[in-house]
Amino acid sequence: MALLELEGVTRRFGALVALDQVAMAVEEGEVRAVIGPNGAGKTTLFNVITGTVKPSAGTIRFAGESIGGQPSHHVCRLGLSRTFQITALFPEMSARENARLAAQARHARRWQPFGGAGVFRQAAALADAALEQLGLTSIGDTPAGLLSHGDQRLLEVAMAMAQQPRVLLLDEPTQGLSVEETAQAVDTLARFLQASRMTVLLVEHDMEVVFRLAHRITVLHRGAVIADSTPDAVKADPAVQDAYLGGFA
Amino acid sequence: MRAVTRPILIVVMLALLLAPLGLPPFAMTLLTEALILGLFAMSLDLMVGYTRLISFGHAAAYGMGAYACGWMLLHTGMPLLFAVFAAALLTGVIAIAVGWMCTLATGISFSMLTLAFAQLLYAISFKWTSVTGGSDGLAGIPRTSGPLGFAALSGKSGFYYFVLACLVGGFLVCFALVRSPFGAVLRGIRENEAKTTALGYNTRLYKIAVVATSYALGGLAGALYAPFAGFANTELLFWLLSGQALIMVIVGGAGTLVGPILGAAFFMLMEHQLSSLTEAWALYFGLIFIAFVLFAPQGIWGLATAWLRRDAKAS
Repeated sequence: MALLELEGVTRRFGALVALDQVAMAVEEGEVRAVIGPNGAGKTTLFNVITGTVKPSAGTIRFAGESIGGQPSHHVCRLGLSRTFQITALFPEMSARENARLAAQARHARRWQPFGGAGVFRQAAALADAALEQLGLTSIGDTPAGLLSHGDQRLLEVAMAMAQQPRVLLLDEPTQGLSVEETAQAVDTLARFLQASRMTVLLVEHDMEVVFRLAHRITVLHRGAVIADSTPDAVKADPAVQDAYLGGFA
Repeated sequence: MRAVTRPILIVVMLALLLAPLGLPPFAMTLLTEALILGLFAMSLDLMVGYTRLISFGHAAAYGMGAYACGWMLLHTGMPLLFAVFAAALLTGVIAIAVGWMCTLATGISFSMLTLAFAQLLYAISFKWTSVTGGSDGLAGIPRTSGPLGFAALSGKSGFYYFVLACLVGGFLVCFALVRSPFGAVLRGIRENEAKTTALGYNTRLYKIAVVATSYALGGLAGALYAPFAGFANTELLFWLLSGQALIMVIVGGAGTLVGPILGAAFFMLMEHQLSSLTEAWALYFGLIFIAFVLFAPQGIWGLATAWLRRDAKAS
C-alpha cells in the first residue's frame, strides 16, 4: 500500500476548480515531483494535503489513515512536514533555534511551561542532526534572517527534517535562487535525498531540478492530472509538451 | 547579559527590602503603588512583548481583580491573603473565555476585541450597582487580617512586603515561563505564527493560555490595588488605564519583564513630577513616549543593558 494516497481530490474556489479529481499514490522512499504551469493547482494540492485548505471532495490517506480536512497541526504531527514556497522562518532566532523549535513540536512535553532542559536537549539533538544532513552545521548560530537565500531554503528543509517526518513536502525549494545558488542547493538536496531515502513530494518549477531529483513525476494542468510516470516517459509525452514543457525536451 | 544585570538586580532588591526602614510614609505609598503598577505592566508584557498579542484592554484584568477582591473583603470577611489570590484566580479563569473569544481574530482585530471586552466590563461596572456600587464604586475596603489572626499584612510595611512578594513571585513565574518550551513556542508565534502552526503547534491554545496567565497576574495587581487604595471604581476598568499600561511596557522595554516594571515606576515618577510643574503633564509625557518609540524602541531596560554591555566590554 502506498504511504500517501489521493483519490478524486477536488477543490473549488467559487467557480474556479483548482483541483479536479486528482488521484496519485506516493510509495515509501519515492521522490515524487508535481509539475505544471502557473495556476495548475500545485500549491493548492500541498495545502489540501497538509490541511491548510479543506478539500471540497475526495479522500486523502496517509499510512492508511484518512487525513482529508483535518487541521494542519494535527496532520503535521502524524508525520507530514512541509516547506513553503515563500521562505517562512523565525528571522530573529538562530538557525539552530529554528530547527530546535521544529523538533520540539514532536515532543510529548512541547508545551511544558517551566524548566524544560530535557525537552530542549532532545530537540536540540534532532536539530543538530538535521542541520548536519543539509550541511548547515557551520551557520547554526547565525540568525535565520541574516542567512543567504540559499541557506534559508535549506534551513527550511532542515526544520522539516528535524521533525523526523515520514513524508517531506517541498514547495519549490529553489524558488527565488540565482542559477549558481540553485545548482549548489540541488547538489546538497540530491546528496541528502540519496543518503536519507526520504519519501518526498516536491513541487518545482525548474525542470532541470525536477529531472535531477525525482523518481516519478505527476503533471497537473488546470487542476487535473494529465500524466503520471517516470521522468523519461513524461519528457516524451506529447500532451505534456503541449501543455507545459514548450519543447524543453 | 545575565552576568551584567544580576548585580544590579540584587542591589535593587536589597534597596526595596530595606525601603520601609528609611523612607517617609508618603514615599512608601508611592513606592507601593509603583510596585503594583509594575506587576500590572509586567503581566501585559507576556502578551505584548513575548507573543506580539497587542492588548488594548488590559484594564479589564486590573479592574476585575480589584472589584473581585474588594467585594470579597467587604462582603465575605475573607482574610486579605486569600481574597487577593482568589480574585487573581477568578480573573485568570474568566480570561480563558476572553482569550478564546479574542483569539478568534488576529492582529488589530484581536486588539479591538480586547478593548471591546474591557469596555463591556466598564459599562457593567456602572449598571450592576448591587455588586459594583455603580459610579460610586466600592469604598472602605478593609485589609482584613488573617489567616489564623495573622495581622502583619494589614499594616503599611506589612502590606508593602506583601506587594513586593507578589511582584517577585510574579516575575519568577513569568521568567520561568518565557524560558521554558512553552515560552519558545510563544517566541515562534511572535516571529511567524503561520510557520508555528505549520510545524504542528496548535497556536490558538498557546495564545489562550498566555492571555489567561497574563490576565491572572494583571488581576493579582488589581486585587492588591483595592485594599491598598481602600476603594475600587470604574476608572480601573477604563481604556485610559489600558493605554497607560501599554505605554509603560513600551517605554520600559517590551519583551524584557524587568523593563515594564521600570516603565511603570518611570510613568508614576513623571506623573508625579510633571503634574506638580504643569497641568498639561500628559502632553509632555506623550512627547517622551513618542521619543522612545522613534529613537529607543528597545525602551529603558534595553538602553540600560546595551550601555552596561558596552561598559563591560571596555573594561
